[in-house]
Amino acid sequence: MLLCDFHIHTKYSDGSVELQRTVDLFGQAGFDVIAITDHVVNGDSSFGKLAHRFRFTINEKNFHAYMAHIREEADRAWDKYRMLIIPGVEISKNYISSEKSAHILLIDIKEFIPACWSYEKIFLEAKAQDAIIVACHPHHSSEITTRDTLFLWKNRDKYAKYIDAWEIANRDDVFNVISLKKYPYIANSDFHRARHIYSWKTMLNCEKNVDSVKNCIRHNKGVAITLFRN
Amino acid sequence: MELVYIFVGITVVGLTAYGLQIWAIRKILCENEVPAGKGAARGFCPPISVLKPLKGLDDNLFDNLESICLQDYPEYEVIFSLQDYNDPAYKVVRKIRDKYPDKNITILVERCEVGLNPKVNNLIPAYRIAKYEHVLISDSNVFVNRDYLQSIVKLMSDPAVGLVSNIIRGSGGRSLGSIFENLHLNSFVLGSVCFLDRFLKMPCVVGKSMLMKKTDLDAIGGLKAFKDVLAEDYMIGKKMQQQRKSVILSSHVIQNINEYWGVRRFLNRHTRWGKLRWRIGGVSYISELIGNPVFMSFFPLVLCGPSGMTMSFVLIVSTLKILGDMVIGNALASTDAGSSSSGKESTPSSFLSVHSLWYVLAPVKDLLIGLVWFVPLISNTVVWRGNRYIIGKDSLLSPCPEVGLWSWRYRLADAIKTRLA
Repeated sequence: MLLCDFHIHTKYSDGSVELQRTVDLFGQAGFDVIAITDHVVNGDSSFGKLAHRFRFTINEKNFHAYMAHIREEADRAWDKYRMLIIPGVEISKNYISSEKSAHILLIDIKEFIPACWSYEKIFLEAKAQDAIIVACHPHHSSEITTRDTLFLWKNRDKYAKYIDAWEIANRDDVFNVISLKKYPYIANSDFHRARHIYSWKTMLNCEKNVDSVKNCIRHNKGVAITLFRN
Repeated sequence: MELVYIFVGITVVGLTAYGLQIWAIRKILCENEVPAGKGAARGFCPPISVLKPLKGLDDNLFDNLESICLQDYPEYEVIFSLQDYNDPAYKVVRKIRDKYPDKNITILVERCEVGLNPKVNNLIPAYRIAKYEHVLISDSNVFVNRDYLQSIVKLMSDPAVGLVSNIIRGSGGRSLGSIFENLHLNSFVLGSVCFLDRFLKMPCVVGKSMLMKKTDLDAIGGLKAFKDVLAEDYMIGKKMQQQRKSVILSSHVIQNINEYWGVRRFLNRHTRWGKLRWRIGGVSYISELIGNPVFMSFFPLVLCGPSGMTMSFVLIVSTLKILGDMVIGNALASTDAGSSSSGKESTPSSFLSVHSLWYVLAPVKDLLIGLVWFVPLISNTVVWRGNRYIIGKDSLLSPCPEVGLWSWRYRLADAIKTRLA
């Protein structure tokens, strides 16, 4: 089984650890597959404007540098740790109301997708790029410092068809509603700080290459979740 | 007022002792000038079994384990021993073995519960299958340079030598707890080890690196003799000396990587170590408080209240201590330069021992350590790897009774902790 984490932030957005250190942290701990998913924040709300102001977001200008850096680290991680790194982003639609907010992981993205687009447009563009679409922390979370992002769950009847997997567990939270609805699932750390490495993770029973990993998530067979503790 | 003078005097004594520790460290490090490959050149390169007990993920684990597999040494085997296939370190060692299929690497997973010391439990199966006469016990949280084996084995060419241990340097701090840990390892721990070795000729073995011969270890009862001892490293050194075997402190510096420690972990470790030293050293434990000049310099401030004089005293002592720590840091850094120039360097460049700015935190760390010093006087229990033990004489462990007053005391403490969490 491959030990995986598909939700990792670095200093490219609001993470506290540089990309290279992040890769080393996961590599040193024996991970097999990780996805780097820094925020792409919408600019059409006060929250979003703040994120852009303080550069807590990937934007169209730095997207290619971000991707190039991830590719460079991916080569290094493969040579040193035999760890697969998949580039991605977390589309972050932040509004004052939790019910309007949503975060979406796009894993194995190739071109920039702005967060201010409509949901349908984002999903279709991600599909066109053959990226995996994951609904992040879709239900009420226990962390006081984290704002809930409930839009996709509230509108699941409309959007579930676009979503390849839902986060059934995020860091220390478990969202049992995902299993009750029998949705495809994965579990991630939502890594921002070094200590977040000890959190929920996904185990995949597949080959260690990008296509196999994506297929495994899409078909949601051979997927297990584990609480990674030291 | 007399009391103030007494504390000022004790502080001055502490500073003097610290000065002597610095001198001892520099003296031992200078011995690094001996060419690393001298022993090998003389042809003394016996095969070595390296035993690596593993439990959980240490900071920088992959690099640490990889570094021992990349030694410039003719013949050696590495035995990684674990108690459980579900240990997260198992995945890391499998990656190491897959990466170096040509190296003599064995992964041994075997549950052994003969004693109360989990490290010794972990080592016993590995020791049993070790092929060679020379056995090196090396902790999983140390990173070593490529010439490590060559450097230490030359000291074993003298048949009178029973054990070789190494100077430990804390490296890689990226959080407050790990910065405190590295500052403490590179000042108090390093200074004490070198001071005891140079001035008192007392072996003070730190178990992160212990090279021995099987015959010598078996003569003192083998690892099983230390299965219920918390300070197995110190006791092995002591028993070796009692067997009239010399215990040598090698000047080869190995790095103890501490990157992401919390302050609580730092305090827990040094409370545990303090309890050890109190049970082993007895009255001499008091010298540790005297040897903490920063902590002692605060007593005049507390007794007389804040004034220009008392504040200046604290400031001067703290500055001197910071400067002392920096001198040691520079001396340790120069050992890196030495190995670089000899082409043996394999330390990742990202490991700065302690960033120069962090030295200003040394007085804060010393104050905390001063407070921690008192804990062993009122408590003789330790919680280690989730189990609670009572520490007896010479750090002999016995299980903490889970009945009567003991039980209720800990149940209450656990309930409060859970409620707070």
